[in-house]
Amino acid sequence: MATNRLVVKEEVAVFASVLFDAAHEAGGQEAVLDVREQMGEIIRLMRADLELAVSLSSADYTAEQRKGLVEAVFADCHPALREVLAVMAERGQADLLPRVYADYCELLSAKLNLVVVDVVTAVPLDDGLRQLITEKAEADLGKKAVLRERIDKSILGGIIMSVDGNYIDASMISQLNRARHILKDTSDGGEC
Amino acid sequence: MKCTNKAAKACAAVVAATGFAMTCPAYAFASEGGIDAILPKMNEFIPMLVAFIILWIVLAKFGWPVFNGMLEKRENTIREALKKSEEAQIESERVLAEYKQQLADAKAQSTQIIADARAIGEAVKADITAQAQTEASDMIAKAKLAIEAEKKQAIADLQASIADTSVDVASRLIGQDLTEGEHRAIIERYVKEAGSFNGN
Repeated sequence: MATNRLVVKEEVAVFASVLFDAAHEAGGQEAVLDVREQMGEIIRLMRADLELAVSLSSADYTAEQRKGLVEAVFADCHPALREVLAVMAERGQADLLPRVYADYCELLSAKLNLVVVDVVTAVPLDDGLRQLITEKAEADLGKKAVLRERIDKSILGGIIMSVDGNYIDASMISQLNRARHILKDTSDGGEC
Repeated sequence: MKCTNKAAKACAAVVAATGFAMTCPAYAFASEGGIDAILPKMNEFIPMLVAFIILWIVLAKFGWPVFNGMLEKRENTIREALKKSEEAQIESERVLAEYKQQLADAKAQSTQIIADARAIGEAVKADITAQAQTEASDMIAKAKLAIEAEKKQAIADLQASIADTSVDVASRLIGQDLTEGEHRAIIERYVKEAGSFNGN
């Protein structure tokens, strides 16, 4: 089992390294960041669509069918990402994508010496806010920071920032939910 | 048969003596007045005496033993009857005493049974009363608990409903009323107030 885990870890590292090198060679830092963002979207999609996630790794389909499925579904993605994902699907290892994503982010941080800050807001950021967030991230992490912005009206307001799995959730929806829980859990004000 | 013959012989002797005495009736009433009227005449007295003696001898010889035997037999019969009667009386008295004793025992036993039954009844009554009171207390306690739980649940539901409504209203107000500039001002404030990415 230990051997299998090590083998899988090596395979994940290989996938991440190949993907990083291919993206960097194709378009430099911007392409690397695009691939990262697209990979994150694919992971979210696979978590939301269980049938797709199962189909990409299922032995009920042939390797060619799984590869064809990847090329059909992710046709708009970066070619490097699509090809690596197709190879993973051929080998029945598409479920390793989250681990590949984590290794890819580590490579990105190590080789480009920068951190990617995912920012989710309800309205688009202006330059002042981008500079403020960038300076804060660089001050906290000691590396050059790059923002990846995403608009999500469902957070109502405020901001969600994440770096390598560390979240700062200052969204209004979270604060309202906290208030909702506090109101529901408070029992000393209900006595008649 | 022997007694019968003896009796027949005695009867014959009596008849003979009577006949002998009856042969001299003229002498019996041929008397004069005064004291001589009540004094027996020798010529009458002697035959009468002879007849009497003969009759007495005959009766003593043949009649008396039979008569005496009958008397003895009768006496024995009466004695036996009296003895049996006494024994029966003693037995009846004994039985009566026994019955009385049994009746007294039965009365005492019935009294004891009634007393026991009354005591058992009282105990059962007390148990039933205590059990009923316990069950009633349990039911009341359970009902109180259920009422309290339902009350708390109702309050919690109401509180949750109010919380949901309040948050929904707040969400709509935020989504509709805030301008982009206000949103950005809030974001700026949150970023400045937020903690470090390092978790410090």
